[in-house]
Amino acid sequence: MTDNIDARGLSCPQPVLLVLSKMKSLGSGVIDVIVDNQVGRENVSRAARSQGWVVENENQEGDDIRLTLRR
Amino acid sequence: MWKWMVDFASSIAGLIARPPTIQNQHRRSDRGILVFHHTSEVIRAESLLKEAAFEVAVKGPPPELRTGCDLVIEFPLVSQLKVLSILDNARISPLKIVPMQDLLLEPVSLFHVKDFGDYLMVRAANMKMTVEKRELRIVNVSGGGCPDVPYLAENLVGRTLHEAPPPRSLGHTLCGYALQLAYEELLRRCTG
Repeated sequence: MTDNIDARGLSCPQPVLLVLSKMKSLGSGVIDVIVDNQVGRENVSRAARSQGWVVENENQEGDDIRLTLRR
Repeated sequence: MWKWMVDFASSIAGLIARPPTIQNQHRRSDRGILVFHHTSEVIRAESLLKEAAFEVAVKGPPPELRTGCDLVIEFPLVSQLKVLSILDNARISPLKIVPMQDLLLEPVSLFHVKDFGDYLMVRAANMKMTVEKRELRIVNVSGGGCPDVPYLAENLVGRTLHEAPPPRSLGHTLCGYALQLAYEELLRRCTG
């Protein structure tokens, strides 16, 4: 079961805060995050790693980037 | 035109600059503003004056003093001669020295603070730092335009405010400097 977060259109630090909140509620699992800029991608990836999650996949989808986070 | 000027000033820090109130007239008469050409001079001057134990504060300039540098230093006017001597020894020349009581608008605070519930964000100039309130852990660093922002973020995110190295010790760009201000403001707000 994958949880999804659509963080497109949000400015920093909101994408990171959404992801951290989801990580806290799940504890472990898989989260798919969509962001629409490179800064958001870097910030979400960095926050995930700092929480012990792995960025399993990164896919460019048009103007968007989909990150798959797993723990 | 006036509204445009106020909006322009507030864009520096995200805060509205207000005309002086009666209550702060007395304080204003004791303070002056040092205006510099380059941000790097502001950073050096602030360090020197703080080392010399002067009560100084870096702020955003009111519109009438904008010169291209987004920062000015507020200082005690009574110490003007000593302050200028210290700067002169370091070969730093302010473009202007203006008593605050001569200004139509006060310099604006550099800080914009946003509470996200479990998280607190402080933006100083062009940089944002966000911490988780309970543990004071840094969860995000963003902003910029400087090449060292990813390096700064890698060294700070995941650490608590107490564990993290001061951003100024990691980077010497304007972004590192702004992040240092955000870090100090978070420490002030979160730890008293």
